[in-house]
Amino acid sequence: MSTSKGPAPTVGATVLQARGVTMRFGGLVAVNNVDMTVHQGEIVGLIGPNGAGKTTFFNCLTGMYKPTEGEVTFEGAVLPPQPRKVVKAGMARTFQNIRLFANMTAIENVMVGRYSRTSSMAITSILRGPKYRREERESRERSQELLDFVGLGKTSEHLARNLPYGDQRRLEIARALATDPKLILLDEPTAGMNPLETKQTMDLIFRIRDLGLAVVVIEHDMRFIFNLCDRVLCLVRGELLVEGTPQQVQSDPRVIEAYIGKPDEEDHPEELHDSLREAHGREEQP
Amino acid sequence: MTAVIDSPAPASTARTEPGYAWPVALAGSALLVVSGLLPWTFRSDVLGNVALTANPGPMQIFVLVLAVLAIVLLLARRGILPRVDAWSDTAGALRAVGAGAATLTVLGVLGISWQLGGLANVDPGAWLGLVGAALLTAAAFRMTHREHRDLFRAATSSWVEILAVILLLAAVLFGAAYALGQEDAATFVGVLVLVFTAVFALSKLGVFAWLGVVSQRHRQVLMLGAVAVAFLFPFTQEGSDANMSIATQVLIFATTALGLNIVVGLAGLLDLGYIAFLGSGAYVAAMMSHAAAATIGWKPNFLVIVVIGAIVSSVLGLIIGSPTLRVSGDYLAIVTLAFGEIFRLTVNNLDGGSGPDLTNGPNGIPGIPDLQIGSFNFAEPHELFGLPLGRFANYYFLLLVVAAVVITVFTRLNNSRIGRGWVAIREDERAAEAMGVNVFGLKLFAFAGGAFLAGMAGTIKAHHDVSVTPDQYIFLESAFLLAAIVLGGMGTVAGVLVGATILKLLPEKLRFAADYRLLFFGLLLVLMMRFRPEGIVPSRRRALEFHEDDEELAETIEDAHLEVVPDAAAEKGRA
Repeated sequence: MSTSKGPAPTVGATVLQARGVTMRFGGLVAVNNVDMTVHQGEIVGLIGPNGAGKTTFFNCLTGMYKPTEGEVTFEGAVLPPQPRKVVKAGMARTFQNIRLFANMTAIENVMVGRYSRTSSMAITSILRGPKYRREERESRERSQELLDFVGLGKTSEHLARNLPYGDQRRLEIARALATDPKLILLDEPTAGMNPLETKQTMDLIFRIRDLGLAVVVIEHDMRFIFNLCDRVLCLVRGELLVEGTPQQVQSDPRVIEAYIGKPDEEDHPEELHDSLREAHGREEQP
Repeated sequence: MTAVIDSPAPASTARTEPGYAWPVALAGSALLVVSGLLPWTFRSDVLGNVALTANPGPMQIFVLVLAVLAIVLLLARRGILPRVDAWSDTAGALRAVGAGAATLTVLGVLGISWQLGGLANVDPGAWLGLVGAALLTAAAFRMTHREHRDLFRAATSSWVEILAVILLLAAVLFGAAYALGQEDAATFVGVLVLVFTAVFALSKLGVFAWLGVVSQRHRQVLMLGAVAVAFLFPFTQEGSDANMSIATQVLIFATTALGLNIVVGLAGLLDLGYIAFLGSGAYVAAMMSHAAAATIGWKPNFLVIVVIGAIVSSVLGLIIGSPTLRVSGDYLAIVTLAFGEIFRLTVNNLDGGSGPDLTNGPNGIPGIPDLQIGSFNFAEPHELFGLPLGRFANYYFLLLVVAAVVITVFTRLNNSRIGRGWVAIREDERAAEAMGVNVFGLKLFAFAGGAFLAGMAGTIKAHHDVSVTPDQYIFLESAFLLAAIVLGGMGTVAGVLVGATILKLLPEKLRFAADYRLLFFGLLLVLMMRFRPEGIVPSRRRALEFHEDDEELAETIEDAHLEVVPDAAAEKGRA
């Protein structure tokens, strides 16, 4: 993979801070006391074996679940556990299994993302008042811009369900960007993609970061994560195991152990990492 | 404006057509023509006189129309009208025409032998028609047909398109007037068969897909035309109140169903107690009217009553909706069902026995006087352009205004931020919420807004009906409203108008089968669910939702959409 990393991160102000987030479902502790801090202009990776609680943690951050314990603050204010208000505060997400509005066109999908940044209600919509016309024009223009940004500018009037798989993933990103987020959470953005599409997605994430957004990525593709991220967190069985730069996490024996069990030869981390990647390659097969 | 596509998709010729099919079909059509010109029986008092030579009665005219259509289609197949054949499924249309002609002749034979007592009364003319129809149908089923109907891709000039829209609307106006004018039940059924056959054949030709695209391109023409048709309809009735009474009933029903379609078709909420909102409006108007039994002393201007009725209904909607709309699933359906019953029981019991006397209990509020707006009294006939218009025509025009308001609200909300939010909620509620859509707020708005419109219509219905009683607002009525939407097409205006017309007009015209009304509608709904779950005139989105796995449909609908979107035409070649 030839993608060069972007310019060295200039870590800005703290955008998101999660403290002691715990999520219990009955007796099961899906997420246990996880801390995470994300700064402006930073790409943070979240890795971990299947069932480690990554998506559950995402759901806690975005208000889809109310954490049993702990709190999530966004730009200093505590986030209410309501997805709509989280979006309004400036955090948007994509889904692991694509959840587009399949029977809407691409641009309509993105325009739904504009919902929280527009406010035309019934009267002006029915009377086609000036506010309606202005907002409608602005959201359409902004949505077209975003489709151009992710590379779907020419397919804006196509139905979401008719788009190729990779384009659907990119459309989901455009839809999330339409909410004018300061932080975007991507849940496995390259799942099911071929190497070329994966590379395009990496470029896209760098460009999103260059817009000044913070990005948090869940991924199983280790090479992708280690090339992309400024910082990586590894969750195992709901707990934060390691946090650090890609190099630190990559060579951490505990991470390797978590993925492929306790190694016999601890002095060959590079070799182990290769086999780790292979193991994951198999796991990704549907 | 019009996108030009070089050629239609290739025909799927799986098997070759036998050489005899075409001549046999032509012979069948010729027999149909002959049959239409020969007497079907000797008595002139059946089926509106089908006993004359070369002077066809109504049923014979219908057969002749189908025969001519069949001949035109056959000529198209032999290359005399190559363009028609290249773009559409003429064999499918011929099958429909053949089957329609067969149904008509069978209907004629049955009608004659029923009324005159025995098959002996049927003259050779009718038998000839039956043979012709059978030949045509059989031959059409041996013809090869195309799967694709891409007429909408064809390049047509603007004036042809506008002319087509005007012709369609004119056909609706005169068709409706003609059908309403048929007193004879068998002939009325004949009209229905003819209309059904024509619709089926034209849809096989792809005419409706084309009209769908065309009417979106020329929306203003369509709207103006529709208003003109609706406005002109009373003048076709020459002051006859009988048909205008049916027309106003259809209009009240359609207006209410359109309001419900906002709730069901756009927001995707199943409301089984919608009639209660209509009832609330009607009761408000009745209680504040000048009727002797009216229970409220305050008699404001009617416009004030309309607003009060609408507000009372929407407040009821808020009360029902706010606790139930938070939970997803079928709870809302159950609660609305219960609400409908609560409404019925409440108005039955608010007779002063326990609690205030508001509704007069089971007797209801009779003798509601006709509306008087300014100096315009709705009870008196008025003359417009030299034509007399009776009481029902007065209400008809008022209801047209209300229907126009509801249609405007419907279409404009659908095409706005709110409408997109509703679609997103229907598609994936959790994803919609995660994208910042106020799911609860939008649902509650749809629910209360729908109730508002129903309350508005109810205030007029009270005056139109003269009396308001609890048994007018029972669950069955809610079910019929819902049936009109399901039958016509969720989420479209035209669909609901068609569905409401079918459900209200047919029982009025087919009174001899009144006992089987529910059986017939039940059967109709079952058939619809099996063969066309999206309804007669579906919205493209609803059609897609009902056929999640149909890739071809998705492509076709997308292509039709790209035909209409102005900027997309240029980039069509790209895909």
